[in-house]
Amino acid sequence: MIKLEGVTKVYGGFTAVDDVSFECQPGRVTGFLGPNGAGKSTAMRIMVGLTPATRGRATIGGHDYHDLPNPGRHVGVLLDASAQHAGRTGREILSLAARTMGLPASRVDEMLALVGLQPSEAKRRLRNYSLGMKQRLGLAHALLGDPEVLILDEPANGLDPAGIRWMRDLLKGYADRGGTVLLSSHLLNEVELIADEMILIGRGRIVAQGNKKQLLAGAGTQATLVTALDNDAFTTVLKERGLVAVPMGEGLRVEAPAVEVGRAAAETGTVLVDLRAAEGGLEDLFLTLTADTQREAPAGAPVPPAVPTTQGGLQ
Amino acid sequence: MTTATPVRSIDTSGTARVPFLRLVSVEWRKMLDTRGGFWLLAVTGALVVLCFALTILVVALNDGFSVSAGMISEIFTIPLSLLLPVLAILIVTSEWSQRSHMVTFTLEPSRMRVMLAKLAAVTVLSLLTIVFAFVMGALTNVICAAILDANASWNLDAGEIAWLVVLQLIYMLMGFGIAALFLNTPASIAVYYVASLLLPLMVYSILVAIFDWARELIPFIDITYAVTPFQQGTDMMGQPVDTGVVDVLRVITSMLLWVVGPIVLGFSRVLRSELK
Repeated sequence: MIKLEGVTKVYGGFTAVDDVSFECQPGRVTGFLGPNGAGKSTAMRIMVGLTPATRGRATIGGHDYHDLPNPGRHVGVLLDASAQHAGRTGREILSLAARTMGLPASRVDEMLALVGLQPSEAKRRLRNYSLGMKQRLGLAHALLGDPEVLILDEPANGLDPAGIRWMRDLLKGYADRGGTVLLSSHLLNEVELIADEMILIGRGRIVAQGNKKQLLAGAGTQATLVTALDNDAFTTVLKERGLVAVPMGEGLRVEAPAVEVGRAAAETGTVLVDLRAAEGGLEDLFLTLTADTQREAPAGAPVPPAVPTTQGGLQ
Repeated sequence: MTTATPVRSIDTSGTARVPFLRLVSVEWRKMLDTRGGFWLLAVTGALVVLCFALTILVVALNDGFSVSAGMISEIFTIPLSLLLPVLAILIVTSEWSQRSHMVTFTLEPSRMRVMLAKLAAVTVLSLLTIVFAFVMGALTNVICAAILDANASWNLDAGEIAWLVVLQLIYMLMGFGIAALFLNTPASIAVYYVASLLLPLMVYSILVAIFDWARELIPFIDITYAVTPFQQGTDMMGQPVDTGVVDVLRVITSMLLWVVGPIVLGFSRVLRSELK
């Protein structure tokens, strides 16, 4: 439904989006995941024609966004919930959009009710909205025209946990009815819970895509958390079998599937008190795949010492 | 989204383009639904009413002082020429300063249509305001005549009225073009006032009074100096002139410089720029 083919955006010498191709299927929620500045927002702006692509093509339902008549009736877009006139009330913002799309005023009330904005809140000006309220309003704005496709940039940003769950149910329901959803996030947990498909992007390039299972299988890194009565002895046992174990919490973390660790224990008669697959595999994968694009040095890396300038003046 | 079977393409045959008049009505509403727009219009209205009250007061208090219809219409266009261009600037720049352009141009991807709708909306508003000012002016005329016990002739000829209206619209267009060029409220307002008010009043008037070359040159680069011979039959110094080819050229160059140029450059900037 949403299709990108070799989309590239170059700013001067900086490539913000680098040869990105993917397709979003109807009836699914596709998560667009990457660290800050990975090119998610730029790619989304290219999809809706706000940013011209340097190369490549983005189509929605087979059309260039520019060629969609009354696009609000086909594609719901939320790129930045704060990018609205701060002096307008929530209701006025929706009313303007409804009028543009040719929708009855009653649709505004329906959407306000759907996203849980009270009539008194809808009367407030946007500058008095919390980020969570702005996101709800932005979602109402995107859903106003009953579109077939939703393109949402960081929609969960600023929502409280209850709000995130509400949005998840809303988008799942929308996709179950045949809608196509593309949502971006820099938070893995958010996307992991909502998305059927995931596209991981780092430094403008797609580093991996697929559903959770495919991603984990593709990464080939399966870790196990295990606790034995005698961890030190078990570490030696594992080492003899070529498995690396590092202490973690009360037990060990082994870079191997749980079944191998269990077999090692059974064959050596080791008593285990805990054995399970390490969670957060996806997070590890995400961090590994986007490692070179992270702004942060790994925790524990030494902070480079400040070098005092001995010579005065500007360097 | 009436079907649950996945479709990979969007059928647009049942959807019509957003009609242009609907875009105009939306832009019209955007001009008035914020505090800025509301107060700007309210102040313009209040100034017109103030002109009304002051003119009557002056006439009533000064024995034998009479005002002509021409004077009255000039008085009443002052508040309009001061504030209408700001509306024309804000309708463009507020989209950028508030970043609502992302929504505006996703709901109607043809940026040209949106800009033309904005232009249409602000033109209609300007015309309505001018009509309001003329009605108040005519009313002033009647009341002044009653006070002076004179003939209430509203002896404005069609040419004078047309020039007043055209000039208002020219300055409004100038504001609109400058706004599209700068896409920034303070810069646009500053450039507009410097070019339309400050330079002609404070700089050009002095240059023209002192230098001969200025008298020849300035009408080429300033709309007011260029248009005055056509509007009033005199130049800015009050000397009667017969308008010729040079005067027409001056209107053309000054308009190219301040109206056509900014609009062409500004529109191309709006059509091409990246919105984020």
